[in-house]
Amino acid sequence: MELSDWQLVEKCQAGDADAFQELVSRYHQKVFMVILGLLHNREDALEVAQETFFRAYRKIRSFQGGSSFYTWIYRIAVNNAIDAQRKQKRNPLDFHENIDGIFAARNEVANDPFADVHDRELRENMSKAINELTPEHKAVIVLRTIEGMSYKDIGEILGCSEGTVMSRLHYARKKLQDKLRAYL
Amino acid sequence: MSQCDAIQESIGRWLDGELKATDSEAVRSHIAGCPDCGAARRRLEKIHSTFGGHLRAEASQLEFAPFWREVRRRIDEKRPWREDLFEWVQSQLTAPRLAWSVPAAIVLVLGLISFAKWPVDGQFSNYASVESIDTHGRNVALLREDETKTTIIWLYQDPEGENENVEEATKSGPAF
Repeated sequence: MELSDWQLVEKCQAGDADAFQELVSRYHQKVFMVILGLLHNREDALEVAQETFFRAYRKIRSFQGGSSFYTWIYRIAVNNAIDAQRKQKRNPLDFHENIDGIFAARNEVANDPFADVHDRELRENMSKAINELTPEHKAVIVLRTIEGMSYKDIGEILGCSEGTVMSRLHYARKKLQDKLRAYL
Repeated sequence: MSQCDAIQESIGRWLDGELKATDSEAVRSHIAGCPDCGAARRRLEKIHSTFGGHLRAEASQLEFAPFWREVRRRIDEKRPWREDLFEWVQSQLTAPRLAWSVPAAIVLVLGLISFAKWPVDGQFSNYASVESIDTHGRNVALLREDETKTTIIWLYQDPEGENENVEEATKSGPAF
């Protein structure tokens, strides 16, 4: 029988490293997605995701289960990513390289060249538009997009109210729609 | 604000399932019959599907084994004590604790100031006193400070006395 997140956390707190490995295997892709959405650079996102799990391991004894494990780990991930973004103002062109790689793979199976070009333009411009948002606005869009999280959970992760989540999400979507109107 | 504007303001919350049932039904029925609002809905869905699709495609290429190896290496690695200390301090600086820290710091500073002024031998070394003397409607205040042998004298008019004069003037009625 598969153990719940909380049961695994309790095992970790008792010093079971295998239980932590199981938690990492459950959440590494999701955590990576959140961080990639904020940083737009694969290498940076990978580094921050690994650091996130390392910090989670160090803090896991103090985790009381007041919130769910995924809320807790996302909170650490978002804080790390926002810190990293503020510390390192990397070249945003790195992100375009990553996107191009995905497009190349998709073009092999695509049938409609016109749609491909249109999608490519949309993605390129979307990356720029998202990159221009503040970290806080990016975070709400990313958390909502990846997990379809409720405003309550997003607020818990970001340490703000549901009303703030709602207004940030509204603002971020409006900005993105304005900037991408020609491609949508 | 037109009905379409109001609906388009709510489409995001409607797609997120964060509207009340009655509002949700109003948005749904409006969108079903309004091409502009239907297009606004599709634009929003396209943004999320495109962005989410990109992130999912990237994450699907992430292999677990090398990822875990690197996390494990960090766990096993001995870090300098300064990093541990910095991390511990950061973890302690939570919002509720910071909220308490401001009044606590003020109390501490006031305590230190009071302690510094408290006489060691039972007598204040830097004693200052203020006295007030009323001399026929004019007040004299004296500030005496022992250490520098300074005396400051204020002379000021009693404001109540002034008011009494005003009252007397008003009692006699306006002068035309």
